[in-house]
Amino acid sequence: MSQSLLDGQAEAAPGPARPLDPRTPSPAGRVTGLRQALRFVLRRPGLLLSVVVLVLVVLAAFRPELFTSQDPLKGVPSQNFRGPSGSHWFGTDELGRDVFSRVVHGAQLSLKATLIAVLVAFVVGGLLGVVAGFTGRWVDDVLMRFVDILLSIPALFLSLAMVTALGYGTVKVAVAVGIASVASFARVARAEVLRVRQAVFVEAARSSGARWYSMLARHVLPNAAGPVVVLATLDLGSSILAVSALSFLGYGAPPPAPEWGTLISDGRNYLSNAWWLTALPGLAVAATVLATNRVARALDGERGRRP
Amino acid sequence: MRRYVIKRLAQAVGVLWAAYTVSFLVLDFLPGDPVSAMAGAGMDSGQVDPARIAALRHEYGFDKPVLAQYADHLGRALRGDFGDAVSTGRPVTATLADALPQTLRLTGAALLLAAVLGGGLAVLATYTSRRWLRQLLLSLPPLGVSVPTFWVGLLLVEAFSFRLHWFPAFGNDGLRGLVLPALTLAIPTGAQVAQVLAKSLLTALDQAYVETARAKGAGRWRVHLRHALRNASLPALTVVGLLVGQLIAGSVVVETVFSRDGLGRVTAAAVTAQDIPLVQGVVVFGALIFVSVNLIVDLVYPLLDPRIVVASDRRAGIA
Amino acid sequence: MRALPSFGPTRRSSLTALLATGLLLTACGSGGDGSGGASGPARSGGTLTFAVGSDSGCVDPQQVGSNDTIYSVRQIVDSLTDQNPKTGKIVPWLAKSWEVSSDAKTFTFHLRSGVTFSDGSELTAQVVKDNFDAVPKLGALGTLAEGYLSGLESTTVVDPLTVKVTFEQSNAQFLQATSTHSLGIESSASVQRTPQQKCADGVIGSGPFVLKQYVQNQSITLARRTGYDWGSALWSKKGAAYLDKVVFKVVPESGVRSGSLQSGQVDAIGSVGRADEAALKGGQVTLQSRANPGVVFGLGLNNARPLLKDARVRRAIVAAVDRKQIADTVFPTGTRPATSVLAHTTPDWTDLSADLALDTAKAKSLLDAAGWKTGSDGIRAKGGKKLRLTITWFPNAATNQPALELVQQQLKAVGIDVVLKQLQVSQFSTTVQTGDYEVVWTNVTRSDPDILRSSFSTRLTNFYHLPAGSLDSVLAAQAATTDTATRAELVGQAQKLLVQNAYYVPVVELQTQLGVAKKVHGLAFDSGSRVQLHDTWIG
Repeated sequence: MSQSLLDGQAEAAPGPARPLDPRTPSPAGRVTGLRQALRFVLRRPGLLLSVVVLVLVVLAAFRPELFTSQDPLKGVPSQNFRGPSGSHWFGTDELGRDVFSRVVHGAQLSLKATLIAVLVAFVVGGLLGVVAGFTGRWVDDVLMRFVDILLSIPALFLSLAMVTALGYGTVKVAVAVGIASVASFARVARAEVLRVRQAVFVEAARSSGARWYSMLARHVLPNAAGPVVVLATLDLGSSILAVSALSFLGYGAPPPAPEWGTLISDGRNYLSNAWWLTALPGLAVAATVLATNRVARALDGERGRRP
Repeated sequence: MRRYVIKRLAQAVGVLWAAYTVSFLVLDFLPGDPVSAMAGAGMDSGQVDPARIAALRHEYGFDKPVLAQYADHLGRALRGDFGDAVSTGRPVTATLADALPQTLRLTGAALLLAAVLGGGLAVLATYTSRRWLRQLLLSLPPLGVSVPTFWVGLLLVEAFSFRLHWFPAFGNDGLRGLVLPALTLAIPTGAQVAQVLAKSLLTALDQAYVETARAKGAGRWRVHLRHALRNASLPALTVVGLLVGQLIAGSVVVETVFSRDGLGRVTAAAVTAQDIPLVQGVVVFGALIFVSVNLIVDLVYPLLDPRIVVASDRRAGIA
Repeated sequence: MRALPSFGPTRRSSLTALLATGLLLTACGSGGDGSGGASGPARSGGTLTFAVGSDSGCVDPQQVGSNDTIYSVRQIVDSLTDQNPKTGKIVPWLAKSWEVSSDAKTFTFHLRSGVTFSDGSELTAQVVKDNFDAVPKLGALGTLAEGYLSGLESTTVVDPLTVKVTFEQSNAQFLQATSTHSLGIESSASVQRTPQQKCADGVIGSGPFVLKQYVQNQSITLARRTGYDWGSALWSKKGAAYLDKVVFKVVPESGVRSGSLQSGQVDAIGSVGRADEAALKGGQVTLQSRANPGVVFGLGLNNARPLLKDARVRRAIVAAVDRKQIADTVFPTGTRPATSVLAHTTPDWTDLSADLALDTAKAKSLLDAAGWKTGSDGIRAKGGKKLRLTITWFPNAATNQPALELVQQQLKAVGIDVVLKQLQVSQFSTTVQTGDYEVVWTNVTRSDPDILRSSFSTRLTNFYHLPAGSLDSVLAAQAATTDTATRAELVGQAQKLLVQNAYYVPVVELQTQLGVAKKVHGLAFDSGSRVQLHDTWIG
């Protein structure tokens, strides 16, 4: 939700356009780029920490067994409601399951949902934007009007409407969240395509008789992709939040699936006797979003604008 | 000026109509057939009695052609009739109207808090000459947009209701009951206000007129507030519509966390019950709020900054 | 309580005995009825705030089946009789006396005079007739009340204050049924409205409180009925109730309910689970608990589904459930694992714990025999189809989800994959009525074993789609007999048939546990473990 606001700003601010690069970067450039990136990250401890957190979360999503050997779905009922300790870092829940293990395994579900959401937004929004920007005329008008309408419905309401229509489940929630951010992607993609289209080398390619699809594939898309990719990374954080909010409201996977939002909402039943059931999974969500946003900002501003 | 107003009004109406259409498309024509959803309440569709589906389809007019249904629904929506909520049998409009005042109180308080907290933070962060303070203040908004609101709400309940007994943990009782939910709702919004405002304040402080004011001998604080802030708030004003929309939508989570009566809780219950007319009413209402706030901003804006009428086309985009 | 009950001396004696046998021992944890430390004389006035977990979407006592809502709507209506929660004895309320024919077919009630409804109309025999005539037409939501009146031949007005109810067959359970909220008497004006209207707007009753406001899923507000003077013989206070107002608030999370009780934001809370006990003990709170009679919590199987038509699968489920683990982990201290379809506090309960013992080996061999072979993921399959059960449940108690997650784990251990499907409390009736479920988590509270007939007879609603058979005749026979010993025998037989055929999977008894602030006094359980607020006061 927070995203659309900043995009609007980004788009509204005319500012000096980024330089266009008609060539693809050379391999040598890539190596120095990597070294530069490393130096860039090392100079910023907050960013470094964020990168570490992100790597851990992604690792947890794909290889949860690296972090915990305890079963996220089955516990020892007689050992329920144990506070955080050496054997249970995040304590145990009402059925004696290890909460840390549930959070770790939950990363898989929640990140999967987030990636699907961003992918939906990226593909659908990007497609709308590219078609609108590249075709122009009435197609552009119609598509952009449609995008404006999507923007006028608060994102969460749009997601909720989708959930009502589609039903519950991790993937459905993900699609609902993705659809809600289609509009911002469409706008950015269109703006980029328009910007690139008017560039000198594209004009040159056109006047030299290049086919529209080769122009699109060779010049327009590679050059327009950057800001859309940055938007996608910026969108990750808010998508994690939106996905977990919907699963908090109870629209995610049914129990015993340990989605992050579900963990917090289940813990709410025990708020007065087991604080760790809400506090610690929430901390994991907050840390992940914070790290994602920090890295995305670095990609967007600090590195992109001041190379 | 009159042409400007008329144009804005027409745009607003157009967007509303379109929002209605979009919600109609989403809710009535997506693969998840609303009728089998209602009949089976989400069970595997193979096990739902076909006769019951047919009866329900007829009852809700789903057996008519799409366009006829749409025209029928739109016609009634124009007269403020969004049908009856499936789960309660009460008219959607009345249900929303009953729930609205509580939510307006909540979102109003949250907007105020967000403006005060976010604005204050931005002003202070750009004013202070202490580097560490500026760093600290500027690191808060990114934190504010990263924490899940429902989690913040629960932590506040845990601390201020259960441990300190300062504020009630749930319900709509008076001003005291408003504090925690409004604060919860205000955090992400306030963080965004702070981000936008800090950015435009910094831009404004670089502008020529600020230099001029300084050269004329105006005090630093005065320059900051009178000149820079005034100009910096104008761009911030354009996102108010978006923020209000977010706050209204955010009430779904916050009212659920605090078990507060209001639009948000009605919405959550409607989605859970797959109450399509009610959800549609909520979606259109959300768009209505967004469009109206933007309309007001658009109409007030020229009064604050007369250049805008001439340049209004540049800002077209959102109605 | 001016008119003393004129107990018909001989004609009813066998029936009274029948209804009073071995009833409802109050299996109390702490608290008992009433409150903790008594202090000072009772005071009138004040508002009681009571947080409950759910709203059933209906405020008509005749149609509500969910405890959280019964707590409030019970206060709006009076019943013809009341039942002593300790002894099970039926005592006068709106009826000052009654006669029951020896064949238990005809029930004659003599009404109190001077009783008025809150709309000013008077209670007459005609009003009672109007009620009983309307109840069978309530439809989907009123099945409980309809079941009590099944086989009703006629209700006749003998004189303005005497009403005679006649059944086609003997109907031993009816006298107890008149004490339930389901047969609470509503004004003629209310009775004439449609069931939907009654649900949405509430009803006019003659009870100690009137419905002031109902906001769906949020709150139910009751106000004291001034001039009330016809309370149940069981109540200690004469005249109107102590409390000015009672506000029932819907707070779905048990953690928030107990936190708010501790912080003093509410005065009483419903559905306290084991998790909250530790936090609530010791503070300014008393825990009151009482075992509910009736059909225990369990898995209501849709016996018409192909998968569940196979008795071996049903028996395997029964054998795979570890009842003790569920009772000990999730439910309030003192809750008993199910030992029959009926709770042990129901009259004529039979101990069948041997048939309900955990036996995973038996469960596995039954499933093997039924052709369900274990796959690589540990889930059984037959002909490429996974052994998957969908359990539909409703969030009307905080204990439901954790209990079902344990059931899910336990069934997975024998190779059954369980999907938990949550619906809204207001969807309960339609789901069960239409059979749109495979397995449903449910229970019914009633202090008469005839609840077995209401729940399982194929001649009535047949919620669980049982095949017609010998069970039906046993259930009919127990309802028709007036002989205590014969009835006990028949009820025992019915329980055996149900358990051995595994038509229903008993899991755990319901023990209602309330958390009540110490300043609240006289908050008492009625015979169905719901609350009675007439005698409640705040000190």
